[in-house]
Order: sequence, then structure tokens, then C-alpha cells
Amino acid sequence: MRTIASLNNVSYLYPRSLSPVLHDLSLEIHEGEFLGLIGPTGAGKSTLCLTLNGIVPQFYGGRFFGRVTVAGLDSLDQPISVLARHVGMILEDPEIQITAFSVENEVAFALENLSLPRDEILVRIPEALAAVRLEGTEKKHPHQLSGGQKQRLVIAAALALRPQLLVLDEPTAQLDPVGAREVFEVVHELNRELGLTILLSGHAAEELAEYADRIVLLSGGRLVRSGSPDEIYSDVKLLMDNNLRPPEVTRTFYLLNQIDVPVANLPVRLDAGVAALREIWDRGVDDSLPHPVLPAEANTRSPDETPVLSVDNLIHEYEDGTRALRGISFDVGQGEYVLIAGQNGAGKTTLVRHFLKLLEPTAGRVFVWGQPTGSLTVSDIARRIGYVGQNPDSQIFNATVEAEVSFALRNLEYPPAEVERRVSESLELLDLREVRRRHPLSLPRGDRARIVIAAVLAMEPEVLIFDEPTTGQDYHGAQVILDITRRLHRAGKTVIVITHQLYLMPGYAERVLIMGEGTLLLDAPIREAYHATDVLEATYLRPPQAVLLAQSVCSDGTGACLMLTPEDVASYVSRRLGDSMDRGNGHE
Amino acid sequence: MSSWMLRTVDRDSVFTRIDFRAKVVAAAVLTLVAFVWESPVLTALLLVIVMLTALIAGVKPDYLWRVLRLLAPFYLFLLLTQGFFAGEIILARTGEEMLTPLLSFPEQWWLIGGATMTLEGVLYGFAVIFKTLIMVLALPLVIFTTDVNAMVVGLVKVGIPYKVAFVFSATFRFFPLLFDEIQSIIEAQRLRGLAFERMGPLKRARVYARIAVPLILGAIVKSQMTEVVLQSKAFSGSSDRTYLHEARLTALDYAVVLASIFFLLAAAIAYLGFDIGRFAGPL
Repeated sequence: MRTIASLNNVSYLYPRSLSPVLHDLSLEIHEGEFLGLIGPTGAGKSTLCLTLNGIVPQFYGGRFFGRVTVAGLDSLDQPISVLARHVGMILEDPEIQITAFSVENEVAFALENLSLPRDEILVRIPEALAAVRLEGTEKKHPHQLSGGQKQRLVIAAALALRPQLLVLDEPTAQLDPVGAREVFEVVHELNRELGLTILLSGHAAEELAEYADRIVLLSGGRLVRSGSPDEIYSDVKLLMDNNLRPPEVTRTFYLLNQIDVPVANLPVRLDAGVAALREIWDRGVDDSLPHPVLPAEANTRSPDETPVLSVDNLIHEYEDGTRALRGISFDVGQGEYVLIAGQNGAGKTTLVRHFLKLLEPTAGRVFVWGQPTGSLTVSDIARRIGYVGQNPDSQIFNATVEAEVSFALRNLEYPPAEVERRVSESLELLDLREVRRRHPLSLPRGDRARIVIAAVLAMEPEVLIFDEPTTGQDYHGAQVILDITRRLHRAGKTVIVITHQLYLMPGYAERVLIMGEGTLLLDAPIREAYHATDVLEATYLRPPQAVLLAQSVCSDGTGACLMLTPEDVASYVSRRLGDSMDRGNGHE
Repeated sequence: MSSWMLRTVDRDSVFTRIDFRAKVVAAAVLTLVAFVWESPVLTALLLVIVMLTALIAGVKPDYLWRVLRLLAPFYLFLLLTQGFFAGEIILARTGEEMLTPLLSFPEQWWLIGGATMTLEGVLYGFAVIFKTLIMVLALPLVIFTTDVNAMVVGLVKVGIPYKVAFVFSATFRFFPLLFDEIQSIIEAQRLRGLAFERMGPLKRARVYARIAVPLILGAIVKSQMTEVVLQSKAFSGSSDRTYLHEARLTALDYAVVLASIFFLLAAAIAYLGFDIGRFAGPL
């Protein structure tokens, strides 16, 4: 197999840094392969990607050792603009990557920079747009595109250069499930049909298991393991040691193995998982036996009857005429943990912003503790309802962590002793005591997200609303944040979380509101909601793999089939096997 | 959803088809003539034409109204000062002996006693208002009806280095994002108990000032990212590049340029030869 790019003993230190981000790393990328790059936050994935077009070290500087060659060119000898012809680079945030005012200009930009003749540019634009299925959008303003479309446009712009290697660094981290799927399918097609070599870094275990030919695991700047998706993802211990999440299918069978239901090869893809489950059934599950009962929910509290938040036929229309909410009604009781899910643009954020009076209803009414929001101010409401918005960086505006967390308390004119008590408590709860005097923006993203939460918690609000709190976090970071929400919930607070990462929420949320195109599609307990696959599909959400796996062997509509997690499925399977065997033994 | 999105007209009209360079010439002529003219009648006429053109071109009435409202206090001040104090200048310019009084304050009033507002002064004030409005409105007429890419190519064609033209267009691209950022930081502060709605203008100004630091830090991070993105797209700032958009001057563009020049000449001859356009001139 021909090598298209290679790293030979590469070590790299950013300027003014004492520890290397890449450590004696060697890797060959073969022509035509789809290579997945995984690893915990801080493993050096992004840096590795940027070495391939010379941005590291040519743009950043720092100390660089070893050698990177791409298409036979040494990354140190060639200017970035030459390497850019061979390597298409796609980064996480589509917003910042689009620099032009129309789709066609975005695709043309790099070609213009390389002085391609206009006639040639005119040939390549439709070609590149067709490859990412964006035909007919030439004249559109990029703002008119959805998140997934924007990221596909970025890919088209890279494709127009006809590169040999496409590097995608966490291209789906900021997209909803539809957008992510669109991007993966397009990349997969480019790889299969055009034979384009792909390097894709990311945390999307299920998708990488499905599409990648080979996976490379990076940790602490070193290459830990390279192998087929089956080899890597079935090594659950290796993944867990590196704070990574195996696909839910794999985790289910890993757990089964632990409880003495041997499975020779752990499946890493859903279809293989379904087949393996079928095999277990054929081996000896008696389907006529009653279902084992699901374990009771650990953290269920019975909510108070008095509604804390309530909306009555809420309609919201934006200035440009977009109807974001089309008549929504529901109540949230004291002490509930509610998940609001739905595709991007379904109206989730628009809805919760009404509770804080950041938006006012076009029609309908919004109440907090029975009071219409019209009679309150934003700062009044903010004392009782804490809102943690999407992007932590636009919610940080102080020079130290301490000042950030005490900002609200100073505004609300608490006595200094009280301020100190609350700040200390809040920092303690979020494990930020060590960085108390640091500048927030000098800390990693996971810490910044926790700083914003600490600052909101310091006000000791009774209700907490988290808007996409886990976006841009790796699995470990997401769990840390969700564990905090659970602790708050157990302490009696009302918690609302908006997310489309459904697989994260079992064990946390109790009630699920599913929204689609400005309407409330479903309001149900989490087990029912996750199994309402039709409703989820209507708003382009996919249930977690464990749910689909469960449905393949248990779908008689009774509550016993409403499994959510690999743990649920594994325990169900082992108990069914056990029951069947007991009966078998009894007959003998 | 950005409320600061550049208000480009979405209507395709004859104005969007005129080349950027031709539009700049026309706007420059308009501005120059408006600057020289002092006749309230002529400036009013020109203003009406500019406003109608803007509306036909698809500039939203809402936008015009907003500009007027924004400038209203300034214009009121202008009318009062001109009305009361322009008398001397007008006497000197027109060579007339007497001005027409509109109202005057009794002599015994402190400070303003004896001051007289004159008809001529007020008319002069109106002429100043009209001419500034023409200048203020000519610019959006050019910018809003021009595709940014066409602007960049147009600028490069008249000899401005590509790098400068690119910075110009990038400003259009990133300013709306900056304003969004400001909005979301203020929002975050309100959510942390900052009673923005109860603040006076001075306190509000202080809040805005405090935002500068995170905003600049954010901008530095962003501009570094932007540079990585640009370099990955083979951008080097070199003028040695090609363009998707062609900027060819059409007959329409030449017509616009010629008409502008003709108008300028006519206005100059009328002004110098026949005093048309002068304050208290024939028109």
C-alpha cells in the first residue's frame, strides 16, 4: 500500500511550553484508507492534524523534531500554501472556517489564492458541491445553511483543491445528530467512491466503528495503539484507561462477558451486536418465559405538585418572521430533572430563554413560581433560576476565577463574609479551588465550563437550566458536568438539561420533552421517551445503541422492555439466560 | 440569530447590477454637490431623489426611519443654532440688509434675552440637514446594493492592494459576530444579577467598558484561529491571484459614470455662472 503521509519520530513543543504535545510519534497514513484518530482531551490529536499541512510548526513556531512528509513533500521545506494543495483541512467550528459571503465564493477562495484560471474554478465549484450534496446552493449566503450543511460546505471548499488527503479535526463536535450523520456519510462516500484518503479525529465512537478502516489511539502525545476498529473498540479496558467511551454495543457485550455470558469477539457495530444477541437467543433463551423486571430507578424522587416553571400555549416569532415556537404548554414541578431534546432549530433554547425573560412571548404566557414573567426583571429571575448557556467563553468576563464566581454575589450586594462563604463552597463543589487565582481563559475548556457553572451556582438558585453543557467536552468531561447536575438534583434543585447527546442522559434525567419544529412532540418518562423511536426520528434524533439493541430482542410493549443502557441490556440478557436454564434444568 | 447582520438588500434591481466603481463615482459626485449646495430647495429635491432611489433599490424604510430617528436630536440642535445664530453669516453672504424675524425673546431674559430666530437661519439650517442626510444615505445605497465580493474585486481593479481589500471585506464578515459576542456577554452579566435595565447611561457605559477585556482576548484567540483557517486555504495576502467574479464595466456602468460627470459639470456651471445652488440664489 502506498503511503500518502508519514510522521517519523515527531516531537513538538508549543512556544513557551515545557512539555511536548507530541512525543516521538511515528505514523504512516496509507493511500485510500479512512483513518480514525481517537484519544482523550489533550492527547495531541489537533496538533497532529495541524502538522500535516505545516501549520505546526510553520505558523505556531515552537520546537519541532522529526520529519513529516505529505505527498512526498517535507512539511518544513514547503510553504503552507503549497502543502494546502495536497491536504484539505477541516476544523471543529464551521462558523469560523467560512470566510466568504456566498457558497460559491467560499469554494472558490482557496482556488483564487492559488491563481487557478477562472474557467477552471467554474468547473470545480459544481464538482465540489455535488460531492457534498450541496448542489443548487451556489448563490446562498452561508448563514442560510444549517450546521451540517455549513460543515459540508467547508469540506467542499477543501475538496475543490483536489487534495490527496482530507484531514478532519473533530468535524462533528458542534453538530446535532443529523448534521453529524450528514458529515460522516459524505466523508464515507468520498473515501469509497473517490478513493480519497481520510484522517478523522473525534469522539464519535459509534460512527468511527462503522466507517473507519483503521483506528489510532493517541494519549499524552504518544501513539498507544493502532488497529482495526474491531481490535481497538473491543479492547474496552484500553479505552476506559484512556477516558474514552466504547460503542454501547461493545460495552453491552463486555458487561455480559463480565457476568459469565461468554462472547468470543466483542461486536463494535450495531448490526454485529444484533446478530450476536440473536445467537445467544438461539443458544437457549426461552421466549415464552416472563420478562425479568427492570431494576428500579436509583434517583427517582417524587416531585412536588406545585409547578415551578410553566408555559401556557407559548408562541414565539422572531423579528424576521421565523416561528420558533408554535404553541407549547407544560409545567415543571419542584425537584424534577427534565431533559429537553430535539434537532437544532427545534426551539429548545428559544423555549428556555423565556423562563429568564431573555425573550418575551409573542403570544401565550410564561410563569415562574406562579408569577407571570412580564412583571419581573431579568436580574430578579436570575437569582432564582440559574442559566448556563452554550458557549462558556462568552459567559466569562473577569480576570480571575474567583472574581468570576463572586461577580453575581457582588452585584446582588451580599456582605463580604457571605460572598466568601458561597465562593468557597461553589469552587469546592466544582473542584476549582486550585485554580482560584488563575485567569479563566488560561484554563482548558473543561475547566472553563465548570467555572461558568460555579459562577451560576454561587447565587444558589432553586432551578438550574443547562443549555448543551456537554458540547465540545470529551466523554470524561461530559460525565463530570452531568454528575454535578445529579448532585444538585439530589440536593432538591430543579434541573433542566438541553442536549441532543441522548446516550449521556440515562441515570440523570427522569422526564424527557422532545421538541420538533417549535412544537412539543412528546412529554414522557425517559424510558418511554427513548423507546418512542418514531417520535425521535421525526426530530432527527437516534436513540442510543443500547435501546436499539434491546428492541431487537424485546419489543412486546411492556415496561420490562424499556431498557436504556448497556447495563440494562446486559443484565436483562443474563437473567433471561439464567431463567431459561433454570427451567431447562427443572425439566430434566 | 444576529440582529446586526449587514442589511444587504435582497432585491435584485438595476442598482445591484451597476458596478461598484460606477456607484462610487455617482455617490462621490452626489456627496460633493450636496456639500457645495446651500439652497434648501435644491438640497431638498436632491434628498427626495436619493431617498426614493434608496427605497426603490430595496433599502428598508425601517432603516431610513432609524437613521432619521438617530440623527433627530442633532438636527434639532442644528435648527436652533442656525435659526438663532446664522443671521450674521447669511447677511454677509447674501448682501441683504434685513432678515425676517420668526420669534424673539424679551430683552430682560437672562442669557437668551433679545435673541431672534430668523426665517433665513432656519432655512439655512434645513439646507444643512438635507445635505448631511444626502451624504449619510448615499453610502448605504452603494454598500447595501453591492455584493461584498464585487466590492473586493472593484477595489482591487482601481489599484487597492488585495490585502487591504480583503481586510475590508473581512470586517464586514466578522463585525456582526463581534456584536453578537457583546450581546451575549452583556446577557451573561444580566443573568448574574446585573440590573442593566435599572442603570443610567453612565453606568451602562462602564459595563460596556468592562466587556472590552474579554472581548479583546476572545478576538485574539479567534484571529489566531482565523489565520490558521486562511493559511490552510492557501491564503497569503498576495495580489497574485485570480477571481471568481469578473468586474467588467458594462454600458450601464459607463452611462452612470457619464451621467454623474455631466451632472457635476452642470451643477458647477449653474453654481458659478448663475448662482443656482447658492443660498438665496435663483432657486
